[in-house]
Amino acid sequence: DEVSLLVVVVDVNPIWWGQQAQREPEFTLSKCLDSVMVMGNSHLVMNRTNKLAIIASHCQESHFLYPSKHWKAGDAAGDDAVSSSRDGKYEVLAVTNDQISEEVRNLMARNIHRVSKELEAGQEMKSRILVIKAAEDCALQYMNFMNVIFAAQKNSIVIDACVLATDSGLLQQACDITGGLYLKIPQKSALAQYLLWVFLPDANQRSQLVLPPPVHVDYRAACFCHRNLIEIGYVCSVCLSIFCNFSPICTTCETAFKIPLPQMVKPKKKKLKPAT
Amino acid sequence: MDEEPERTKRWEGGYERTWEVLKEDESGSLKATVEDILFKDKRKRVFENYGQVRLGMMRHLFVVIDTSRTMEDQDLKPNRLTSTLKLMEYFVDEYFDQNPISQIGIIITKNKRAEKLTDLAGNPQKHISALKKAVDTTCAGEPSLYNSLNLAMHTLKHMPGHTSREVLVIFSSLTTCDPSNIYDLIKTLKGLKIRVSVIGLSAEVRVCTILTRETGGTYHVILDETHFRELLTFHVKPPPASSSSECSLIRMGFPQHAIASVSDQDSKPSFSMSHLDNSSGPGLTLGGYYCPQCRAKYTELPVECKVCGLTLVSAPHLARSFHHLFPMDAFQEMPLEEFEGERFCEACQGELKDKSVFICSVCSSAFCVECDLFIHDTLHCCPSCIHSQMVPSTWLTD
Repeated sequence: DEVSLLVVVVDVNPIWWGQQAQREPEFTLSKCLDSVMVMGNSHLVMNRTNKLAIIASHCQESHFLYPSKHWKAGDAAGDDAVSSSRDGKYEVLAVTNDQISEEVRNLMARNIHRVSKELEAGQEMKSRILVIKAAEDCALQYMNFMNVIFAAQKNSIVIDACVLATDSGLLQQACDITGGLYLKIPQKSALAQYLLWVFLPDANQRSQLVLPPPVHVDYRAACFCHRNLIEIGYVCSVCLSIFCNFSPICTTCETAFKIPLPQMVKPKKKKLKPAT
Repeated sequence: MDEEPERTKRWEGGYERTWEVLKEDESGSLKATVEDILFKDKRKRVFENYGQVRLGMMRHLFVVIDTSRTMEDQDLKPNRLTSTLKLMEYFVDEYFDQNPISQIGIIITKNKRAEKLTDLAGNPQKHISALKKAVDTTCAGEPSLYNSLNLAMHTLKHMPGHTSREVLVIFSSLTTCDPSNIYDLIKTLKGLKIRVSVIGLSAEVRVCTILTRETGGTYHVILDETHFRELLTFHVKPPPASSSSECSLIRMGFPQHAIASVSDQDSKPSFSMSHLDNSSGPGLTLGGYYCPQCRAKYTELPVECKVCGLTLVSAPHLARSFHHLFPMDAFQEMPLEEFEGERFCEACQGELKDKSVFICSVCSSAFCVECDLFIHDTLHCCPSCIHSQMVPSTWLTD
């Protein structure tokens, strides 16, 4: 019997949510978590063997809201899940911090551990991760993020993204590589509807539904010298850093390169016809 | 005979009383020692770390598969050939996963001749379908090591200097039939900096030992199918680059993916250049990758443009190789009794039940055995470290 695991990662960056409460008082963090709980419960109701995990992502740490660390027995679905995640929410919000950088991928790394651990129990499990993102990207975490994406692709874990405010190139790449859905929500107050319509169905049911079209992902690389997006570049064979112009020394690994000289073409000697 | 550091053989006293490794416990069962040995094997692979050595990232590898009479032997189930081809499919998948910008070619040898099954290419599908079809070939005659190495060398010597040129021979027979002196060929291979490694299926053959030693490769003989798989996995990782390989800047293109739908008026269906050779692939497609230099269309990356010769890759392909350049340190092992702190694995939130706990040296968080394996094999970053880590922002795509 197939087990389907849904892991929901909610971004609870307090700065963004605090500013959001001032911008639009109708849509606050509690409403967002309400919609997430609606979706979580619906997922559990869809099939008896479905499993759920909810993680809140904060600036400096991430916290498993459900299932909680102190539960050693099996899952208890339904209303217990609702109340425990509500408790977790208040704990997390009590911590304040000043940084604006958003770090979702670290806890995605944790999910993948958790998911793979369940897989090792011998059951067939199809899992997916849904990320609900509020604040902007933090470019410093590119490498860790890509590592997580490749690990997810290797273990056939689908990553979906539901973006509340600004577009995120990293999440677009993650969804494209793992085969998930990326959606930027036009109206935040209708979050529950979007979650239930787009993100609730399984991967194999999605082919039969009419869903938002795939987004154009920009896979061009940025050169190390100017940070411009380039279409043709030079790649150092040692450290794989990208440059837009040829330079004799690689700035990252300090290797000296050979400068390719134009090849000498020997002029062909024409045979003189003997004068008749 | 020349002076060479040979491994000690059985008659020289190299192996003595190998049964003493296994010890029984009070009830007479071997379970504890077997588990211990398996546990150590699991951990051994994690620690094969070369340190700060330059690696050959762009690899051109030829795999030579021996399809001589000895491959019909049934010591690997169902016979050696089927088992080898199945493991080769696994190898090709893993190879392209770890080295996305590299290429593989397959050569088979039988009846004293060698022929190319597939040419050097960067697309795994072609190789896998060729391997699947090769299961029906008859195994006959004797292999020819000279001919197969010669064939590989003719293609590899034209490859650019910054790539690593390798040959992996899967050799099952104990004999080889060569048209001329193989030691001369070994000298030529050494001059061309081609590294040859051999995996033997029967026993150790002296000419293979000399071949691998001279060219700088490795030689192993398999014990059973699991060991065979482990040896193949060992060849998936990029080897240290030889000191004389040139480092150069390779010109590459990063094409955009054009997604067009039928409703878009300007989009017209067109042929992809990669399907010109075979008629079985899909013909006309709407979207694809356009080469930035000559605008030829391709359906998948990485590929070398047939029109203008530019290598086309996408940024995630290069990002896949990064964990080779920045390898993770191994975690410290500590017995469970000595460990103070909550008995929960930081990664999977499960209880710590194994006999030892693994501690990350940077952030001092504890992990269980399976999470440790997973972190080092697949994830390549510690989940607790990246909470506070400030990685230099060298790779920014938007």
